[in-house]
Amino acid sequence: MKTIIRVMLLAGLAAPATTFAQVPYDRIVKAESEPANWLTYAGSYKSQRYTQLDQINKQNVTQLKPAWVYQLRTGGVFETSPVVVDGVMYMTEPPSTVTAIDVRTGRPLWSWTPKIPDDVIVIGSPPVNRGVAVLDNMVYAGSIAGHLAALDAKSGALRWDVAVDDNKIGYYLTLAPLAIDGKIIVGVSGAENGIRGFVDAYDAKTGKRVWRRHTIPAPGEPGNETWGGKDSWKTGGGSTWLTGSYDPELKLLYWQVGNPGPDWNGDFRQGDNLYTCSVLAINPDDGSLKWTFQFTPHDTHDWDANETVVLFDATINGRSRKLLTQANRNGFYYVLDRATGEFITGTPFVKQTWAEGLDAKGRPITKPGLDPNPEGILVYPSIQGAANWHAPSYSPKTGLFYQTAVEMGTIYYKGEAVYKPGIGFTAGGGRTINGDDAWSAVRALEATTGKLKWEFKLLSAGRSSLLSTAGGLVFGGTEEGNFFALDADTGKPLWDTQLGANIRGIPVSFGVDGKQYVAIAAGFALFVYGLP
Amino acid sequence: MQRWLWTAAIGLALAAMPARAGAQAKADIDGGKLLFQGMCAECHGAGGAGGDAPPLNRPRLQHAPTDAALVNILQNGIPNTAMPRVRRFSESETRQLVAYIRSVGKLSDAKVPGDVKKGADMYRSLGCASCHIVGGQGGNLGPDLTDIGFMRGPAYLRQAIVDPGAALPKGVLQVPSRGYAEYLPLRIVTKQGGEVRGIRVNEDTFSIQVRDQAGKFYSLRKADLELLEKQTGKSLMPSFSTRLTPAELTDLVAYLASLQGEP
Repeated sequence: MKTIIRVMLLAGLAAPATTFAQVPYDRIVKAESEPANWLTYAGSYKSQRYTQLDQINKQNVTQLKPAWVYQLRTGGVFETSPVVVDGVMYMTEPPSTVTAIDVRTGRPLWSWTPKIPDDVIVIGSPPVNRGVAVLDNMVYAGSIAGHLAALDAKSGALRWDVAVDDNKIGYYLTLAPLAIDGKIIVGVSGAENGIRGFVDAYDAKTGKRVWRRHTIPAPGEPGNETWGGKDSWKTGGGSTWLTGSYDPELKLLYWQVGNPGPDWNGDFRQGDNLYTCSVLAINPDDGSLKWTFQFTPHDTHDWDANETVVLFDATINGRSRKLLTQANRNGFYYVLDRATGEFITGTPFVKQTWAEGLDAKGRPITKPGLDPNPEGILVYPSIQGAANWHAPSYSPKTGLFYQTAVEMGTIYYKGEAVYKPGIGFTAGGGRTINGDDAWSAVRALEATTGKLKWEFKLLSAGRSSLLSTAGGLVFGGTEEGNFFALDADTGKPLWDTQLGANIRGIPVSFGVDGKQYVAIAAGFALFVYGLP
Repeated sequence: MQRWLWTAAIGLALAAMPARAGAQAKADIDGGKLLFQGMCAECHGAGGAGGDAPPLNRPRLQHAPTDAALVNILQNGIPNTAMPRVRRFSESETRQLVAYIRSVGKLSDAKVPGDVKKGADMYRSLGCASCHIVGGQGGNLGPDLTDIGFMRGPAYLRQAIVDPGAALPKGVLQVPSRGYAEYLPLRIVTKQGGEVRGIRVNEDTFSIQVRDQAGKFYSLRKADLELLEKQTGKSLMPSFSTRLTPAELTDLVAYLASLQGEP
């Protein structure tokens, strides 16, 4: 007995200690220097979703085995991108639960669920949550009730909770917040409800709102004239539902703006509808705009521009440039100068039938007659877009931008536009041409030009989020449940396994006790894989 | 939840609505027809006569016995079937669609011509039961036809007999998935040189599951295949266009249309 107790004590002492989050802003700025952790939604402020870890590589990826699986207690669409800090994973369960997990065993450490009213309004997406932000000793998460909460990282206890805006008129949150120096930045969903979108900054310690940047200018502000001179700007959408990126050196926050409302009937919002379908470069101190770029003026196909913007530096025409790139829902891949907003190049990355191309300033040269109508009109890309929330990845090692491109068309319908608070304000919709006639491909684009380097075809038009690694791999998942790894240089499939349900999760990688792992949510479970 | 409340609210509004004046009712039906032609006719057929999806020109719809139930389907689709929510509708658009679909149901010219009994005899003598199940009896290579008259319109049934490859069922089953052709014929050659002909049972990016005419299953990794030919537009079922007189064809369609499922 005595021996057994001694052995247990020794084991206890020898057990690796888990330190709970202690993540000052400076750690997130230098996230790439500690690849065992995944400190923010897209891996770093650059949103490259790239890991420096190379223990799992082209040679040994076939040996991957499940380390543990975490099952949801209830179902739901599971789109989380976990954050991992010093042996603890913080991830979200649908619709708005935050759970901390011991990454060595998969055992939960705490779980917190906000109050969600029975009559919560979630129109425009499933009731999902894509992850948390961590700063200092707090964990931050949004909810479909339209709130932002700050939790104690050790216990999950609520530190503060604010209503970002009124869910009764359609505001809700699905994105992972972004933590910067002393501030928590969030955007909102709800453009299918006739909201007026914004980006908000909250004091990380107190929850007090520091600033709000509306995405649609009010009368008297520049850009309001692009709304047809009526009240359409008040219900013009422009939601901000996916996490932005940040350049701490330029001190610019980049946030993507969604579609105008009503989605498929532009009659009452004649003009470009600024700043919908745009990216905003925001001064994080006061929310003022440094520059803006609009991808799709006067959108009528729900091709919002909320897709992740990826930041990297490269030399173009002999000149070193700070770049911002996006594979946009409208089917074009864009390269901008992120200091100035200057358009550098743009090129289609899928079949698209709506534009002749882009002009010298990046504005699309649209083909006439392709607006939705009551009888329906077939246009590519689809209503769900060539890209969407699913995460792209950029590898500094290959210089390639990896994107799951959706090859699908939609018959678009225009409907009657009637605004009532809290009721869907979409005025139309679409029927996708799916099944055997649609498909997706993981595409590797030369990041500075958008030129296709390779592609790997997926059976159906799924939205595979991607992770690229220093081990020369690209991880992703299919609608049919295949979790796979491709050769990052050639696109050749190197490994796959079947997880038993559609994969909506966003892959991340982390390390603990000297071993690298890859995590991805599929169906109603989170899977973690590592080498034996 | 909110969606359900809204649906219920519209349902109540419709139920509470007094009989509309004739002109308004006519306008609603006309408006609904326009919406229906754009969004519904491809599957449910022009005038709701049926096609890939069940005919709607009958007085009682299984999933929509009441207007409230019909509104619910328009707003939400029918889970686990090929019926999607095509798009969100305003209240007046919903009212118009309900008015039109109900007007089609009242036409009651849904009677399918032909002699059901003669058609049943034809079904037996042609050996259809070697590949199809009706009421639990028959072979399993092709689709179960027990409720085919409920699920498909007569025009579709006629085409399926004359030109089976043009009318592969789409996306009713969970496997492979919504929108995919079912019973898709495949010709596969493995890298070892083996050949498999059969129908697709399921497929993903890396593998494919096949059943041949003898009922044997094959599980194949795509990386091991030399050729994977999806014979879109073809069917393992032969065409009966030359083996039936027009009258016999009409009788067979009438028999199939009479198969409305187990009571």
